[in-house]
Amino acid sequence: MGTQMRGTAAPGRTPTSLSRRSRTKGGIGESTLRPDGTLKVIGEFAYSSDLWHEDMLWGFTLRSPHPHARITSIDISKALAQAGVHAVLTHDDLPTAHTQYGLEYTDTPVLADGVVRHHGEPVALVAADHPETARRAAAKIKVDYEPLPVVHDEASALADDAPILHPNRDDHHAGHVPHPNIVHRQPIIRGNAAEAAKRADVIVTGEYEVGMQDQAFLGPESGLAVPAEDGGIDLYIATQWLHSDLRQIAPVLGLPEEKVRMTLSGVGGAFGGREDLSMQIHACLLALRTGKPVKIVYNRFESFFGHVHRHPAKLWYEHGATKDGKITHMKCRIVLDGGAYASSSPAVVGNASSLSVGPYVVDDVEIEALALYTNNPPCGAMRGFGAVQACFAYESQMDKLAEKLGMDPVEFRQKNAMSQGAIMPTGQIVDSPAPVAELLRLIKAMPLPPEKQWETARGAADVRALPGGLSNTTHGEGVVRGVGYAVGIKNVGFSEGFDDYSTARVQLQVIGGEPVATVHTAMAEVGQGGITVNAQIARTELGVTQVVIHPADTQVGSAGSTSASRQTYMTGGAVKNACEAIREKVLETGRRKFGTYHPAWATAELLLEDGKVVTDSDEPLADLVDVLGDEVIDIELQWRHRPTEAFDPVTGQGFGHVQYSFAAHRAVVEVDTELGLVKVIELACAQDVGKALNPLSVKGQIHGATVQGLGLAVMEEIIVAKDAKVCNPSFTDYLIPTILDTPAIPVEVLELADEHAPYGLRGIGEAPTLSSTPAVVAAIRAATGLPLVRVPVRPEHITGT
Amino acid sequence: MTLPTSLDEAVAALAAMPAAVPVAGGTDLMSAVNSGLLRPAALVGLGRISEIRGWQYADGNALLGACLTHARMGRSDFAALIPALAMAARAAGPPQIRNAGTLGGNIANAAPTGDALPVLAALEATVVLAGPDGTREIPVGHLTAGHDPLRPGELLAYVRAPLLHAPQTFLKATTRTGPGRATASVALVLDPARRGVRCAIGAVAPMPLRPLEAERWVSGLIDWDGSRALEPEACTAFGDYAAMSCIPDPAEGELPLALAHLRRTVAALARRALERALS
Repeated sequence: MGTQMRGTAAPGRTPTSLSRRSRTKGGIGESTLRPDGTLKVIGEFAYSSDLWHEDMLWGFTLRSPHPHARITSIDISKALAQAGVHAVLTHDDLPTAHTQYGLEYTDTPVLADGVVRHHGEPVALVAADHPETARRAAAKIKVDYEPLPVVHDEASALADDAPILHPNRDDHHAGHVPHPNIVHRQPIIRGNAAEAAKRADVIVTGEYEVGMQDQAFLGPESGLAVPAEDGGIDLYIATQWLHSDLRQIAPVLGLPEEKVRMTLSGVGGAFGGREDLSMQIHACLLALRTGKPVKIVYNRFESFFGHVHRHPAKLWYEHGATKDGKITHMKCRIVLDGGAYASSSPAVVGNASSLSVGPYVVDDVEIEALALYTNNPPCGAMRGFGAVQACFAYESQMDKLAEKLGMDPVEFRQKNAMSQGAIMPTGQIVDSPAPVAELLRLIKAMPLPPEKQWETARGAADVRALPGGLSNTTHGEGVVRGVGYAVGIKNVGFSEGFDDYSTARVQLQVIGGEPVATVHTAMAEVGQGGITVNAQIARTELGVTQVVIHPADTQVGSAGSTSASRQTYMTGGAVKNACEAIREKVLETGRRKFGTYHPAWATAELLLEDGKVVTDSDEPLADLVDVLGDEVIDIELQWRHRPTEAFDPVTGQGFGHVQYSFAAHRAVVEVDTELGLVKVIELACAQDVGKALNPLSVKGQIHGATVQGLGLAVMEEIIVAKDAKVCNPSFTDYLIPTILDTPAIPVEVLELADEHAPYGLRGIGEAPTLSSTPAVVAAIRAATGLPLVRVPVRPEHITGT
Repeated sequence: MTLPTSLDEAVAALAAMPAAVPVAGGTDLMSAVNSGLLRPAALVGLGRISEIRGWQYADGNALLGACLTHARMGRSDFAALIPALAMAARAAGPPQIRNAGTLGGNIANAAPTGDALPVLAALEATVVLAGPDGTREIPVGHLTAGHDPLRPGELLAYVRAPLLHAPQTFLKATTRTGPGRATASVALVLDPARRGVRCAIGAVAPMPLRPLEAERWVSGLIDWDGSRALEPEACTAFGDYAAMSCIPDPAEGELPLALAHLRRTVAALARRALERALS
């Protein structure tokens, strides 16, 4: 018989600090290998796009060619008449009155409801027995559009005669935005910036721009919806957060949540781009309509329209400093383009404003950040989430200030760097280590790559180490080196009072004479290595070698999102918490069974190690196998991080963030100044990770984030024309760094524990995305002497033509 | 899909099915099919015609089979024969593309960014077309520009390129370290026998452009019997001259910024191409 507990965690359980290293193999701190790694490298990993079902149909989405138009009529008769077509759905066919969804505001139509608000918005769905048939049938749907005026930037969004894109807003920010085309606006006022500016010996202003970056995950949106006999549906899906999808899907289908059973399928990357729904509801609608399993797979072209992107931003900054290099004040205004629907724009605004100062001590600030509704593609979550845009701007300002003061840019930053105890512009005290100056010291101390590093022993140039690379553009002609530095601050976890929790169900039992732990969570493994870490935590806490990771699904409570650098903290914390409860049960059983045989059962602090109950002085008391016998201990518990609070809508004050994460970069670039081509040859990174649960994964996250930041610096941008149409939806025209563009990335890791977090760990996946971009741009500035206020930097910005 | 094993069979198959599309590496064709742009009624696969997968010597020229892959052309034995074509082949794409994509496909596809095309233009190469009524030979440019298109049942069989026994260069501008699509490319060959520098600019126009006046001017400066060296200023002037002739000033007003950048890029590439060829 098993004991089963369900419900919320015991309140106030503090993380147990392990007084010594566990001897159980494969526990935390080891670089255990991920089970999906080799499969992915050799091409055998099953992604959601590989799903198959007997007798399944293929879904296809007809999308709007217009960024803003009224739909005057839709004629589906020719599409329906095509052989092989099983269903064609438009907005009129939706089963309930609940026809919109959304992460924060419920403002996104499942299918266009008479108006399309961005290029590529879904208008109709087709299910057919072959994907090609579905595609051809969709082409036969006749939609009449009446184009409407397009809102594409701040001026056109806030003009007196601007079309109001969402006239009947009922979201929680609607009441305090200055214009209905502003999704959310967050001011932060602390101290008196105007007064402090009088103390400044130098004042530096700048206007910066960040282009629209795409998550560019390699596995396009895909999934399989299978109708069930009970009238419900089973959805196999690649997502970042099963329960958030569920909350949005079920009401549209008119089903109770328990009848929508979701199972995570192989996820080919996410980076924020799978936080919003894409084809989930569409596949379910078609499956319920046809009574057959329906698969939808986007191709690369469609994927560019199928998910939200990083907010493009315009940022205006003013900083002042005294002659001796102390920052007096900061004022900034950050305008983010949220596109047609809200997605996670409000939270991105919160991040952009609250992190706009960077990891510096500035007591007098005047901050405003806002996101617009426009007819551009919707923007939402992407790695770095509002902090990326701000970091490019404030780090550019730091270099400008240092130059104006005649100071070394690293020393200037160190002089103003925050440390533990510093106060954020929101009034929040940074109550865990903030080793900003130390991180800068570490990257500056690393040896530089040799000059003319492209020269080989035989004297010929290795073109891979030069701008233009294999295109044979330069053998050193016109090449100038530059070095640049940057540092950033990122929050971890969901902020602003969000009830952020995760759930873990852990079972412990004897199977085949061995104690085996089963860990069941709804955590989406999107490539971050979470399942590896969860298994390590279970081994460490329960002292077992065999850990089974149950597939993630909605049969267990929510794990929250795989985003915001939060899963190791949150689901790792939930697994640890559940394991601790299991351990207590084990010891309880042990005391009952064996307590009379040895006094230590009652008196000593007991641990589970190597399949045994041991005392804190390493004396084994019993084998787990004997303690457990036939018993299955089965516990499901929710776990929360400490609560946060919303920012005041006027002053921006509030304990808004759970934890902060810091990384610094030094970039070394070679610039072909005649052609404007850049080769980043080294991006050294130093980061405080609190505690590296899996050092190899930590390094992998830092490498990946660094390269994604490099992409934003010099390659990646979705070009949206003035008419709000997407110009480059392909990997031929939207360039992402390949391994040949990836520089050497030496990594220095600090492990300064955060006492509030499990094992003292710090969420790590995003911080290096922030500082990578401004470090690269600073290096290009150093090589060229150009101001460079926009990313990505394009060749023409460097050649000045 | 038919899979002929000889040129004659292929020509017969094409003549029998005029709507059929010949396919070699498929690197352009299949991506057009996959994205729904092309729905060929039938395919004639050229992969088994061994006579056009290699090359042979013919009267001081090389006769290159249309199904030579970029990977094969990139190897060092080929590079010793026609260095610029080898350089272009190496930069044409990632290994998967180079292993499959062919010289003939690059010509037949006639994409403005086709990397072999400026090299063939600088070489003044010709194509040998096999058809139901025998073969004919025309300049590559006549085919790619559509002056003299393929006739029904006709197949691109060979490319005839001169063996010049002198330095050649190919370089292109991309923002990637790996092979990427060119924003501009330059092929430059020296022809000591005819005492000429020949140069072609790729990717900036629908087909490669030859800056003939710039070629003639710089050919006249070179001491062909001596060191062939030129002053740096002469190389710079050649680059500017070539770029100006490909991207001239508009009749009225300023050159748009994007074109000004492109012109600057071409000038730098052409200068470097000449410097490298003469060094």
